[in-house]
Amino acid sequence: MKCILNTGRSVPQGVSVEHKGSEEYRTAASVCFLNAVDMMLLGIENGERIRVSSPAGDVVLTARSAEGVKQGEIFVTTGPYANHIISSETHATGMPDFKSQYVDVHVTEERVMSVGELMEEIGGLRYVSQ
Amino acid sequence: MLVNDVVCPFCGCLCDDLELEVEADRVVRVLNGCSLAEATFMNDTRLPAPIRRTSTAWEKISYDEAIKETADILKDADRPLLYGWSSTHGDTQSVGVHIAELIGAVIDNTSTVCHGPSILAIQEVGHPGCTLGQVKNRADVIIYWGCNPIEAHPRHMSRYTTFATGFFVPDAQRERTIIVVDTRRNDSGGIADEFVQIEPGGDYAVLSALRALVRGKESVIPKKVAGISKEQLIRIAGICKNAKFGAIFFGLGLTMSRGKYKNVRNAIELTDELNRHTKFVISPMRGHGNVYGSNEVFTWMTGYPFAVDFARGIAFYNPGETTAVDILRRGECDAALIVASDPGANFPRVAAAHLAKIPTVLIDPHVNATTSLSRIHIPCTAAGIDAAGTAYRMDGVPIRLKKVIERGYPDDAEILKKIYDCLNGWMIP
Repeated sequence: MKCILNTGRSVPQGVSVEHKGSEEYRTAASVCFLNAVDMMLLGIENGERIRVSSPAGDVVLTARSAEGVKQGEIFVTTGPYANHIISSETHATGMPDFKSQYVDVHVTEERVMSVGELMEEIGGLRYVSQ
Repeated sequence: MLVNDVVCPFCGCLCDDLELEVEADRVVRVLNGCSLAEATFMNDTRLPAPIRRTSTAWEKISYDEAIKETADILKDADRPLLYGWSSTHGDTQSVGVHIAELIGAVIDNTSTVCHGPSILAIQEVGHPGCTLGQVKNRADVIIYWGCNPIEAHPRHMSRYTTFATGFFVPDAQRERTIIVVDTRRNDSGGIADEFVQIEPGGDYAVLSALRALVRGKESVIPKKVAGISKEQLIRIAGICKNAKFGAIFFGLGLTMSRGKYKNVRNAIELTDELNRHTKFVISPMRGHGNVYGSNEVFTWMTGYPFAVDFARGIAFYNPGETTAVDILRRGECDAALIVASDPGANFPRVAAAHLAKIPTVLIDPHVNATTSLSRIHIPCTAAGIDAAGTAYRMDGVPIRLKKVIERGYPDDAEILKKIYDCLNGWMIP
């Protein structure tokens, strides 16, 4: 399914923003909100997973329906999950298209990665506090 | 011990009426704060000591070693990038600019992926703004455009707009009309008197339609503009023209969507148009606690608010070229110093990935996504918690952040001064 990805802040994301390794942050930042009709068309229920892809990359997210989101749009809170699929093109303004990335949405059984795993995928190394 | 009049450093509201209960080096209770403030003060887990990445693991190192190695990395770099600066105080930002000038680096702050486009628009057409106190005491029409204060600035509505009792607006909830414009019906839209659900990328067209209506050109408006009916547009233009004092607050819904700074320019020009009928102001909802301060400090020192390139020995500013995401996307920088921010989480994949390819040093109190991409992470104080300093509220009012506890960490300004001294010593011929 073709959609437009919108991103923004949320309270659960803000509360755990300084604890990006936490389960709480993973849950807040990896939820993808969809219109209920789009969920029906994909044949999925709340809590099932979707793979969202763009020319920049792809990422597995947990789907949840939200009344406020229009059909053809998806919403993911600001953070490493959304950024994993956002293009770095800025159209000579310095600002990427954080609110209008065209994406493809597919149903998947794969699990949602942790922030550490996402960072390792782009060449990082997780720090686990002792 | 109770500490009064504490400033919360988290978001651009910089609420200055918090009361904290402090026991030794911990904050145990937060009064008056929102849930973001509570988490900021009470859930403040830090990286205990500086760490360095080896090929497969992390090892602890001393502060002196970390500072020396950081200076080495910056000295050896041909095109270093110094980025971040929004979640710390003015002294740190100032030392950062001095380092950039000394080594010919590019220095950019987080407004580059936030309200940078708003600044570009303001540079084109000016900023008819005012302080939040004026809005609180006078505004009877409030427009939130492309922002969600309930989630991102939870006390904005209760301190300054929807629920705030003002001198000329004593019965706020009845006397203030709240209009929310967004592509998504969010919580803020839920409590608006008028919610306007716009099609993605339709902001520019809707702002143009409102400008035409305020000018009395009703006949040129089609039946629908970006999903909004002509009737609703006429109603909104009417509410605005009949306001005694109107205030537009806009967020990243304007700066990040199609049109970027041109959207903001159009919103400012709508404000200009409305001022031919009544008093109207417009202001960005700045995100990080002191992101406005980073623009102020950069501007005093270099003449430019962000994306400043010292490679030529003088300050050069060209957003789109000297902005952090563009420099990383092109793979241009060969070292990075990140201070008080998390580009690992907030930059698009390709830009973040470049940080892992080059020696990146992070100076930040907390372990974040950028830690994983760094060569060295140096922990420090958090401004407003265990360090005092100046921060700028979203309306440009400077507020002194308090030091409420002592946790034994060095101030990030002190760490940067030592790095500067190392570099300065080596640079003298």
